[in-house]
Parts: sequence; structure tokens; C-alpha cells
Amino acid sequence: MLALTELHVVREPDPDKFREAETATYPDWESVYQDNVVGIYQLAFRRVGNAADAEDLAEDVLMQTLKTLRLPAPVHNVRSYLVKTARTVLADHWRRHYAAKDAATELEQLPQGALIAPPSTDASERAARLLALLPEHFSRILELRFLRGFTVREAADELGVTESNARVMQFRALRKAAELEMEVLS
Amino acid sequence: MTDKSADRVARFVDDLLRGRRPRRFSASQEEAEAMKVAASLVSARTGADLPDKAALDRIHSKLSAALDESPTVERRFTRRVMLRTFGTAAAAVVVGVALDEVVTRQGKSPGAGGSPSTVLMPDAGAWRPVAAVTQLPAGHAITVSTGSVDAVIVNDGGAISAVSGVCTHLGCKLQPDEASQKLNCPCHQTAFGFSGKVLYYRLKTAPANLPQIPSRVNDGQIELFVV
Repeated sequence: MLALTELHVVREPDPDKFREAETATYPDWESVYQDNVVGIYQLAFRRVGNAADAEDLAEDVLMQTLKTLRLPAPVHNVRSYLVKTARTVLADHWRRHYAAKDAATELEQLPQGALIAPPSTDASERAARLLALLPEHFSRILELRFLRGFTVREAADELGVTESNARVMQFRALRKAAELEMEVLS
Repeated sequence: MTDKSADRVARFVDDLLRGRRPRRFSASQEEAEAMKVAASLVSARTGADLPDKAALDRIHSKLSAALDESPTVERRFTRRVMLRTFGTAAAAVVVGVALDEVVTRQGKSPGAGGSPSTVLMPDAGAWRPVAAVTQLPAGHAITVSTGSVDAVIVNDGGAISAVSGVCTHLGCKLQPDEASQKLNCPCHQTAFGFSGKVLYYRLKTAPANLPQIPSRVNDGQIELFVV
């Protein structure tokens, strides 16, 4: 009986060792790259909407992070640093190329969990929810343009309006969607 | 103002929908808000926000050029700085340390996540079919067992390869995670890439990379060289 008790005591986890074991580690820059490059690219793409900028931004984020970090390093530290760097890099992109100070400030508030990118289907569901909240004529033009790939001219024909009106409608629809995104979805 | 804004945003949207880098311009706050929503809507199309292999290769090669060829120690402690600060003797000592560090870094890289990958080459091995090629579309991974060897077979963009399906730490069977291209160890939250390289670990020391298993495609069958 005594032996069993001793055995039980020996197997009790040492709280310090347990905490230490909770920290997963990246051994080198290749590991950081392999485990995060797709997530960072997606994070960037969702905020710039095109592959060329997303590629440049993902490279910037990784380069700045990896040149600064000393590895091996805990996974959560590295990811936290990657998100901090991504905030700065994305905000700087909007400031430099579009002089968009408010958009940049908002990007600086990216949540810490942003790097755990949801699968693409989540982005589709989010878009579908957003379109469903818009008035019919606004959701219709955004659906034609973004989901069905219509040109402005084709969308205008489909909706029975002039091209100029279709462009204005698209702009107002995007503005309304931005408001709704802030109010309802965030 | 609305017309001009509408035109500028429409041009931005056109560029995004055609897969082009948008032209830069000074946007008002309203325009920028609309543009950000446009970017998120473009991303909603299935697979639009996933990088292609060429993009990943370019990012990797730029990182590799910058990070593999410029060891931190050399940049931080140049001989000239040490001479100016501490004199010749100190500089000689530090350069010696720096060189040692550089050699150590190079010795550890790129297999710093454990020992470099080995190839599992059994003495009495033979090519054995384990799955049909049609069972393994690009981007997928499957686990197979020959009785003696557990393996994970991977189709990376048409290139088929195989690694051991057993964690090099304590032998737990690895679980493929196709979405994030990882092989996860269920026991100690260690993960390997599809190439067998350690991605991260929750251990005091890095486990070894996974051994490679010779593989080939023969008459529509994936074969492994195993016992």
C-alpha cells in the first residue's frame, strides 16, 4: 500500500515542469515559415484583396519578424509577434498607398487570434451574411460583381440602369456594407 | 464628389476582380471603408485567399537568402567595431567566438528541429503497393500500415512522397491535418510538416525529423520500399 502511494506521488505532475511543457517551440525560421506562411498570406489577402500585395505583405511580415526573433522560441510568442508585425505592416500599406489613416488605425486593432485564419468557407459565410443584411438593390449589385464576376456594364444591363448609376450604386452598397460590418458583424 | 468616389472605388474593384494589383491613389475615409469591404468580398470567393505554390516559393527563397546567409553574430559584432572599442586582443577573442557561433548555427541549420531527416532503408525491403494513386489527390495525405511500418503518404502538387507515420519522440501515431499541411502528434502536441521536418514541439529538446520512406508510383499504384 505504501509503495502504491509513493508511486502515485512520484507520478504527480510537477507544476513547474507542467507549465514548461505547455510551451511548444519553433526550432528555426523554416518551422515558423512553414507553420504560418499560409495564415499570414490569408490575413493579408483579406485586407487587400489581391495576390500581388498579399504576397509582398506576407513576405514583409515574416522578414521583419524573423530578423528580430531569436530562435528557438515559444510558438505563442512567435505568433504574437507575427500578429503585432502584421498590424503595423498592413496599416502602413493602407497609409502609404491610399493615405487612409482611419482604415490604417482600424487595422492596428487586429485581434491577437487573427493569425489562426478561418477556412475560406468562413469568409464566404460572412460575405453571405453581410449581403443578406443589405437592402435588396445593394445586395444585388454586390452579388453580381463579387460573386458572379459581372463587369460594371453587365451589372448595369442586368439591373436596367446606366453604367454611371451602377458605379454609384456599387459605391453606396459597399459603404452600407462597411457600416453594417462595424455595427453587426464585428 | 460621390461620382468621383464611385469611379475611383469602381476602378479599385475592377483591379481586384481582374486579379491585378490596384492602382494607388489618395482615398477619402469613405472610399477607404468601401475599398476594405471590397477586399474582404473578393476574399470570400472559394480559395481566392490561398497562395499558389509559386508565391510561396518566392517568399521562401527571399527569406532563405536573407536569413541563411547573414548570421546574426557576424552582423552584430564586426571586427572593426571590436577593435575600436576594446583593442586587438578582445577583437581576436570575440571574432573567435563569433566564428564558432556561425559554424554552430550552420551546423544546426536547416535541421535544427532535430537531426537531419534519414531514409528508412530496410535490409530485406521490397517494393510493396499500399494505395492507388487515385486515392491520393493533390494536397492530401493518408496513413498506411504494412504491418511492420506505419507511414504517411503525401501528394504535394502531384509529387508523391512518404515519411514515417510515427512520432520520433515516443512513438505515438501521427495524425495528418490536411487543412494546415501538418502531421500532428496526439501525445505531446508536436507537429511535423508533410516533408517530415519538425514544425514545433512541446518538449525540452527538439525531436528528430521523420525518416523518409522510399516511394514510387508503379502502374497506378503507390509503392513503398518496406518490409
